[in-house]
Amino acid sequence: MGERIDVVEMFKQAAFEVDNRRLPDLKPQTVITALGMDSVAIMELVAWFEEKLGVRIPDEQLSKIRTVKDLRDTIARLLPDRQFAA
Amino acid sequence: MIGVVPALNACEGEHSRGFTFLGAKGPGEDLFVSFHDLRLAAQRRAAHYAAAGLERGDRVALVVPEGEHFIPGFLGALWGGLIPVPLYPPVSLGKLDAFMEALVNILNIARPRVLVTTERVGKVLWSAVGRIASIEKVITTDELANDAGSLPAAADVRDDEVAFLQFTSGSTALPKGVMVTHGSLAANCHAIIREGLEADGERDNAVSWLPLYHDMGLIGFVMAPVCYRISVVFIPTMSFIKNSTLWMETIHKHRATLSFAPNFAYALVTKRARPEQIARWDLSQMRAFGCGAEPINPDTMRAFLAAMGPSGLKPQALLPCYGMAEATLAISFVPLDEPLQTDRIDAERYHADHEAAPVSNGTAFLEVVSCGRTFVGHEVTVQDDEGRILSDRRIGEICFRGPSVAAGYWENPEATKATFRGGWLRSGDLGYMIGDRVFVSGRIKDILIVNGRNYHPQGIEWLVDEIPGVRKGTSVVFTRPGAASEEIVVAAEARAGDAGALKAQIVARVSEEFQLAVSDVALVPPGTLPKTSSGKLQRRKTREQYLNGSIGRTSRAGSTRLAVAKHLALSLVGRARHEVRKLLGG
Repeated sequence: MGERIDVVEMFKQAAFEVDNRRLPDLKPQTVITALGMDSVAIMELVAWFEEKLGVRIPDEQLSKIRTVKDLRDTIARLLPDRQFAA
Repeated sequence: MIGVVPALNACEGEHSRGFTFLGAKGPGEDLFVSFHDLRLAAQRRAAHYAAAGLERGDRVALVVPEGEHFIPGFLGALWGGLIPVPLYPPVSLGKLDAFMEALVNILNIARPRVLVTTERVGKVLWSAVGRIASIEKVITTDELANDAGSLPAAADVRDDEVAFLQFTSGSTALPKGVMVTHGSLAANCHAIIREGLEADGERDNAVSWLPLYHDMGLIGFVMAPVCYRISVVFIPTMSFIKNSTLWMETIHKHRATLSFAPNFAYALVTKRARPEQIARWDLSQMRAFGCGAEPINPDTMRAFLAAMGPSGLKPQALLPCYGMAEATLAISFVPLDEPLQTDRIDAERYHADHEAAPVSNGTAFLEVVSCGRTFVGHEVTVQDDEGRILSDRRIGEICFRGPSVAAGYWENPEATKATFRGGWLRSGDLGYMIGDRVFVSGRIKDILIVNGRNYHPQGIEWLVDEIPGVRKGTSVVFTRPGAASEEIVVAAEARAGDAGALKAQIVARVSEEFQLAVSDVALVPPGTLPKTSSGKLQRRKTREQYLNGSIGRTSRAGSTRLAVAKHLALSLVGRARHEVRKLLGG
């Protein structure tokens, strides 16, 4: 089962590893594309999540993800057996 | 020279060469489709199109992310003499509304009778389909793959017939569809493969992660290889973006000799490749790492070569090139045996005198990459505003003519007339010639090219103008050279206040709306951005002032007075220095 997945905390780590960005104020409702990252860095960030969690987010679902919460919900749907932080 | 349709028709019996689609059969399982089978697959799609009632010249829109489904669907349309319209799929984060808007705008101009998509993408697209009156039917790629009964013969297409419409990336409000003809396609494929690359299917094979709705991916790595039966391994674009080292890994694994990408991809892979990976790769067989589709940064190229050194990559494999959709694809290539060549020119004389003067020691310079020479039967010149051909090292608009030039923009005689003038394609790019070599130094039309995509500054400016705190109608967007790609800078007039918060808000809004990273915001006092006599903001001048650090320093009203004062002050300082030196005896 593993421990609870905290997408917000993971996102902060990913943004730092992928784009050298510190995001202390990140919230679930933060709009991802408003963080100032370019589209390539954002996709690298998505890939970071996929690798860490062993999921594959279908490409066409990406266009519906706006906020960190949207990302969390999308991943949660793909991993129904795991627990997620709110 | 051979056209794509007759070339595909001649692929019967070609079982050993073809296209490989990475991971298309499942994780780690690749799909190989021989050119023989590709021909059959195209025929089958053509049969389905015919059964749907499509006739010669009808448009077929394709929104299909997977290469293994897209390519047969596209070639099948060509086979039947239809006009395919390739479109980018909705795969970037949170951009669904903007995507739909662009899709509807493009397709209401192209007016396709059929939309081809996949089951999964179709679920996302359905709301847009209702807004495109011409679409009679949506066909999935699964349906196109079904048995279609008897297979039709290839259409006997003429050279002057439109082969497909290439909508130029980024322009959402008034998209323009470049009419690539069967003749321009054949000419450009020949120029690329036979002349530029001297490629031969016996010894060469290619790797591409380029999107297939984009000219470099579609013509360079699908149609040109079909014409000359060169095997290609396709990496899904998204797989490359998520893991850029997969590009080099695949070249290594397949002993590939040819690959192309825009500048940003070279920067990305240089950043991501770990030394132990590079040491493991053997890239010594690579003959051409083409670089084009966005301004080429010489530092990126040198960093890539230096990083890949341990892999055995030959410096002359790097092949800067120049082209655009209106030229079908390629305009010029650096010769195969030539290493990266750059020209250092005097920055001041470039901006002030429009001349590319070789730099003398110590002066500020611009470094411009040589994009090589054009092909036999084609001609490149640099022209002034009146269409006069300029001499070497004079800066003007790069113009191109020859059999590769496309037939114009689909149902847009006005834009066609403006861009295709007197037999010349006007590129909109600034540059100069040295002998037969083309040097591209900037954009005339202020299109912003970032990570291989075009953005029109106007849309961004409109957005910034709406942000409270920005003086309405004063924002100017332009690019500055960055490490990996061009970088976006926003300049705007704002009253004194919380500049930090306003800057952050501008960055956030542009990023949200356009998925563009703004690298700098220059907020200047009201009335200080350069304007024309009619009050129009001057984007080029603003950019110049930004780059030389004088932005916002002079108010328009007092500019003459200030300039005089500055001149006086400088000469006084000079005099003072002179006096001091005299005093010191030196």
